[in-house]
Amino acid sequence: MIMRPGQQLLLPANPVFIWGSLLGAMLLNMAPNMGGLGRAAWTPDFLALVLVFWSVHQPLRVGVGAAFVFGLCMDVHQTALLGQHALSYTALSYFAITVHRRLLWFTVPSQAMQVLPLFLAAHAIALIIRLLGGGLFPGWTVLLAPLLEAALWPVASILLLLPQRRAPNPDANRPL
Amino acid sequence: MPLGTLDRTPPPFFKQGPSSLSKLVFFSTLALFLMVADTRLKISQPLRAAVGTVLYPAQWLVMQPVYLMQNAGAYFSTVQSAQQTEAAARQKLALQALRATQVEQLTLENNRLRKLLALREQLSVASQPAEVLYDAADPYTRKVIIDRGMAQGIEAGSPVLDESGVLGQVTRVYPLVSEVTLVIDRDQAIPVLNTRTGARSVAYGDPVTHGGAMELRFMPADADVQAGDLLTTSGVDGLYPPGLPVAQVTKVERRADATFARIYCTPKALALGARHVMVLAPLRGQIPAPPAPEKSVPVAKRKGRP
Repeated sequence: MIMRPGQQLLLPANPVFIWGSLLGAMLLNMAPNMGGLGRAAWTPDFLALVLVFWSVHQPLRVGVGAAFVFGLCMDVHQTALLGQHALSYTALSYFAITVHRRLLWFTVPSQAMQVLPLFLAAHAIALIIRLLGGGLFPGWTVLLAPLLEAALWPVASILLLLPQRRAPNPDANRPL
Repeated sequence: MPLGTLDRTPPPFFKQGPSSLSKLVFFSTLALFLMVADTRLKISQPLRAAVGTVLYPAQWLVMQPVYLMQNAGAYFSTVQSAQQTEAAARQKLALQALRATQVEQLTLENNRLRKLLALREQLSVASQPAEVLYDAADPYTRKVIIDRGMAQGIEAGSPVLDESGVLGQVTRVYPLVSEVTLVIDRDQAIPVLNTRTGARSVAYGDPVTHGGAMELRFMPADADVQAGDLLTTSGVDGLYPPGLPVAQVTKVERRADATFARIYCTPKALALGARHVMVLAPLRGQIPAPPAPEKSVPVAKRKGRP
């Protein structure tokens, strides 16, 4: 692999951590609606964010199939149209895999700018499908969700790469 | 360099499985098929129930901190607010006391009159209490999740009430929870009876008008409806028992150029804040089945014959 200038050589990703973080993101997605925000349309989709992150960083492990299965789970949880999230996550993961070679050459803020269209597209797919299916327009706050997701991209890149940034040879002075 | 710094297996060069484009095509087709199966063919309920059962532990886990925070909030709520609630409850009780005392007498009178007229006895309806767990997160519909499901004998189609009126209808039943479509949902319709005039009509959900209301559609422009009329279930549908309060008419718009009047109503139930609800068993089994429609031969089939 060609080393990207100014970027640290990372430890291999732990599959348990990858799947655990995806599961955690799904639980985090459930929390706002159960915790009183109800059916607010602006809440960022953490699962979409983590799916894009791992599709970009580990495209051999997390791909279109995983996105589909997690989308199906979100559909059942939200009592949405079955296949709505599955389709939007599938497309999201596919776009993330197509840009993954290019994206990591940029700095994290410009990466966030480049994943914003992906999130916009995913939300647009869901919106169009539901409006075609006779759903109710959820209001303009729905535009906030992709913006928030793109804004959370730097946070995700710090948090989800932490285990890979640990020292390769931990000692007493550097336990982690 | 210590071991475990690099990926132990080199990435495969030739054996990478199907390309992501072919996976995208496959899974998108599958998703589109699921959507059709969900909306048109109505065959996706077993899949939903299976995924719902797998997801239930996760949902339970997420609910725990939420419950904890709600309980903590209730614990720290002031004495003043508790007293206010109590005063309000007493006031409501006093208002209802008058009606309650009349009910005894009216029931007696009603029973006698019914016997006198040899009318059928009132249908008895089984009911069970339930609690609203949370609003369904889908912003395109208006649904809530309650904590009773198939295991407690909830059936799809059961009417759901809160303390002041009809809240909605159970639309999907999972093993441990069920999904209730509120009366303000756009696709929800409920047959009602105007208690002042006795005219029957159908009330539809109208989720756009200030956070959730209802609408009486297809009423002629000169229909006898006034603001303040109480609408109750008519009981002609075979699901809702008759006489449950549904909504109150708030505004009637009659235009000279329109065939139908626009009639806005407010639901009696707290559509956006109900917590404790009652699930009634649908009346389906208790009333005689409607006669089967006569079979008609479709015209298109006869055309092919000589």
